[in-house]
Amino acid sequence: MPDLEPGQTHLHAGRSVLRPDLIEKVTGAAQYCVDIRRSGMLHAKIVRSRRAHARIASIDTSAARAMSGVVAVIVASDLAGLFARFGHIVPDHEILASGKVRYYGEPVAIVVADTEAAASDALDYVDVDYEDLPAVMSAEEALAPGAPLVHEEQHRRVDVDSLSPVETGADQGELRTSNVAHEATLEWGDVDSVWPVAAAVVENRMHYPMLYAYAMEPYNAVASFDEGRLEVDSTAQHPFMVRDDLARIFSLPLAAVTVRAPYLGGGYGSKSYTKVEPLAAVASWRTGRPVKLVLDVEESIYTTRADSAEVHVRSAFDDQGHILAREIDIVMDSGAYADNSPLVVAKSVNRSFGPYRVPNLRVRGRSVYTNTSPASSYRGFGAPQGVLAGETNLEQAADRLGIDSAELRRRNLVRPGEEILHGKRGIDADLPADLEMVVGALREHAPEDQSWFASAMACSASDAGAFPVSTATVRVQADGSVIVLSGSTEMGQGSRSALAQIAAEELRVELRVVTVRQSDTGATAYERTTGASRTTTLTGLALQRACQDALSKLRSMAAEVKGCSADEIAPSPAGFALPGGDTISYGEVVRSWFGAAAGEVTGIGLLRREGATAKMPPFWEIGMIGVGCRIDPATGAIAVEQLVTVGDVGFAINPQAVEAQDLGAATQGLGCALFEELLYDGPQLMNPNIVDYRVPRMRDLPGRIDAMLAERRDGVGPYGAKGSGEGALNPIAAAVATAVARVVGRWPDRVPLTPERVWRLINETGPDDTTGDRSSPREG
Amino acid sequence: MLPPFALERPDRLEDALALIGDDCLPYCGGTELLMAMKLNVLRPSCLVDLKGIAALARVEWRGDSLVIGGAVRHASLAADAEISRSLAVLTVVEQRVGNARVRTQGSIGGNLCFAEPRSDVATLLAALGASITLASSTGQRRIAITDFVLGAYETVREPTELLVEVLVPSARLKSGVYLKHQYAERPTVGVALVREGENGVWRLAVGAVGDVPIVIEVSSLDEIDAEAVADMTDPIEDISGGVDYKQHLVAVYVRRAVQAAAEDLGA
Ligand SMILES: Cc1cc2nc3c(=O)[nH]c(=O)nc-3n(C[C@H](O)[C@H](O)[C@H](O)COP(=O)(O)OP(=O)(O)OC[C@H]3O[C@@H](n4cnc5c(N)ncnc54)[C@H](O)[C@@H]3O)c2cc1C
Repeated sequence: MPDLEPGQTHLHAGRSVLRPDLIEKVTGAAQYCVDIRRSGMLHAKIVRSRRAHARIASIDTSAARAMSGVVAVIVASDLAGLFARFGHIVPDHEILASGKVRYYGEPVAIVVADTEAAASDALDYVDVDYEDLPAVMSAEEALAPGAPLVHEEQHRRVDVDSLSPVETGADQGELRTSNVAHEATLEWGDVDSVWPVAAAVVENRMHYPMLYAYAMEPYNAVASFDEGRLEVDSTAQHPFMVRDDLARIFSLPLAAVTVRAPYLGGGYGSKSYTKVEPLAAVASWRTGRPVKLVLDVEESIYTTRADSAEVHVRSAFDDQGHILAREIDIVMDSGAYADNSPLVVAKSVNRSFGPYRVPNLRVRGRSVYTNTSPASSYRGFGAPQGVLAGETNLEQAADRLGIDSAELRRRNLVRPGEEILHGKRGIDADLPADLEMVVGALREHAPEDQSWFASAMACSASDAGAFPVSTATVRVQADGSVIVLSGSTEMGQGSRSALAQIAAEELRVELRVVTVRQSDTGATAYERTTGASRTTTLTGLALQRACQDALSKLRSMAAEVKGCSADEIAPSPAGFALPGGDTISYGEVVRSWFGAAAGEVTGIGLLRREGATAKMPPFWEIGMIGVGCRIDPATGAIAVEQLVTVGDVGFAINPQAVEAQDLGAATQGLGCALFEELLYDGPQLMNPNIVDYRVPRMRDLPGRIDAMLAERRDGVGPYGAKGSGEGALNPIAAAVATAVARVVGRWPDRVPLTPERVWRLINETGPDDTTGDRSSPREG
Repeated sequence: MLPPFALERPDRLEDALALIGDDCLPYCGGTELLMAMKLNVLRPSCLVDLKGIAALARVEWRGDSLVIGGAVRHASLAADAEISRSLAVLTVVEQRVGNARVRTQGSIGGNLCFAEPRSDVATLLAALGASITLASSTGQRRIAITDFVLGAYETVREPTELLVEVLVPSARLKSGVYLKHQYAERPTVGVALVREGENGVWRLAVGAVGDVPIVIEVSSLDEIDAEAVADMTDPIEDISGGVDYKQHLVAVYVRRAVQAAAEDLGA
């Protein structure tokens, strides 16, 4: 057991412990979903639409079915009797396209065969006859008057805030009149009265690209349907929500469906909610055998992407730079199915105007159906889209007002405890202090050579944590070791070690005696989701309660076997101190109480919206970032030389993991700022592969990285912790765009800022912006 | 996914030559071949692995000429001490081909035979005046690199031929610079500028930007007009840039290469 050093308040929490999953992941011993096989298992491959929008006139499966090794070819009509759709907000997502296809890449049929090769070979023999329909390939086209509709029917929508489960039954019949999948608004004060009296009104527009989250492991699942029970192993961030979707499809009791998620090879939001599980499940249901489905990278790219967005911001200031009003319009291209985009757009609305005092506000966000691949959650959840436009707008205002942009932020940032969203939890962070950390680090490490160089900062605050429903179980064994059960998924973020640290801390045991088991709906505790940076904070709280529950049971049992009163028993390491000076270990308590070398004591922790977590959001996630960028004016290439992150996490349970999260999030954000963009050319993507879709590499990492932590114990979670993992991503594209504008003298209207785009920005002819002189002459 | 195929692993060149043909393809690192097979662009029934053939794995000097076996991998060339002493420009190129996985798997022969236009290796070899030897079970022929590559993914190689070696004549006498603009996995523009001995001519090659590298010979650096060279190129418009941008990049990199070469001379 580590000793408490001076200044340390915790035995395990707050230390950069070795992650229990580290070695097996590095050596390759770790089992991922793709490694799972079942006896008698068949393999599925998906026939995908080769049209963006078309009526399916007919599907002829006979040639494919006649091929050797093929066991079944399943089309939408084979799913009669099932509720053949999913979608936790709008159940609009068909398992297999029926009637028409809505995007290139949409599943049309499933080929199930003895081997993957046989299934693959049969794909081309499924003959689908299409009649083309006019397609809408962008939000702009989709919103145009008279645009063809992606969905004709209106499906009953779940209230995003209450998140009550989707109701089944008669949700059809109502007809849609537009391609708007969801609209979210937020308004207070009277913005219109402000524009005429403001000292400055600053307006800008930014485009945020379609992105692929690029988890190293593509989507895959193994499903086994047998005698009214369904078992699925899958790459699901939220196994319990996937279970709910699957139970609804087959009208099964929740308890008859088991979804397990082993280690995930990355998710970044892209593995939240249901993806390939229904395909594997219906294939098993039809064939009566276990079915494995593994997508390749191209199929994964077509399965989920980030919502692209067109964001228009208008802000009014007084002559001292105080924000008087902000009006923001967000249009997201959400692709062919709603998936989680309604929530993404709602969050984008909340997160777009920044952690500032905004006395008058009007924000409108629309999630729009188009005939492109479906968009859903992506790390940052609507924040990156909104913050890019909102923060560059603020920077442009600083130019206009002649006020240094850090100073402009100082004047407008909310102070600790102040509300950002009216009636919601006040900010549980000290943003002005975080800001000074970034300003200081950028200044201190500014390079001597300032030619074609600029630094910039940006910030954001996200209403994070999602809806606080969480449970945890601890099982104290007869030898005093501890099993923690949690439904939160380990996906690389380090939850396995953070939860072990919390359990060891609460129970005063050594870390090595704690084993954490996660994400098995049939065996572990319930967890709503693994997202919104919530695990350490919310699962952590549930786990603390479970440990206290176990401790109080153990204490009563110790009193019973020792014949004293529970009040006379005091805590001691891995056990209790008894009256008279003896101690008793947890193992002895368990063994003596059961009267054999056996038994265990279970502690349960439940968390809901009450007490400390009554107010939404459970916590705010802060993004506070600085970058220093140098541009090669001849080629337009950007080198990010400096990166400053502030992890304002309240308390870092594993500081190294927090820094790694910040660096990872910032790097992923740099991908969007500099390189990443899915591009459509006609009905299909030009770059649905990892050679042409450029992600950041080691060489792109900034030479100077200052990863700082701000630990003020101001979070609602264990020991004052708040979540981490998205914060550093959210503002970074805005910071890079600002640095580029400072160097070039012109504001970009989109990211990624590829070399070609920067070169064009430099060489564009037209009215210059107000960012002042170039720092050096152009190279010839 | 990878369709099924038979795999042959000969260790003698003759056996490999007896096997290859239309439906039985040479296979070395597989960095291009296996991707093409996964995409169903190529569907051979058999692959002949060249990695076990010692004759294709050698790097050796024949007098002043450098001879590189067709199956030598980029990583080996990048780490070769003798090459870095005598022909450092090749080391520079090989160290920066693609990514670590491509360098450890991919071979020089595979690079040239696949003839993907965005090749650094082909560009440099063109400037070096290199040639290659093609062998079949009936004989051998030697061809200048500039005659070997006909266009994008197109070479003069017959399906029954193997690229057995790359030969850089008088390599010990040559010196040069190679600069590239690389934004994504493959280069957007590559410029090689090589001098044939102390007082020899300069050969400038510009590759990756069009289907095949263009090569220009001049007797002094002053003769190189970067804008004119850019005009000679026929850039492929793609995700990494439009035609005007790529031509601009050619001019920039030609200027930079000339400057670097002039600095080398002065040093
Ligand atoms: C992601 C990525 C990035 C890359 N970046 C770069 C870059 O920056 N610069 C650059 O120059 N190149 C780059 N390349 C190309 C790389 O150099 C080649 O892929 C590699 O060298 C091919 O060699 P291989 O042994 O893997 O060929 P294989 O894939 O095994 O074979 C390729 C083709 O050549 C044939 N073949 C192979 N060897 C012989 C032989 N000896 N005789 C006859 N035919 C043969 C095969 O039949 C096949 O058609 C990149 C490639 C990838 C995939």
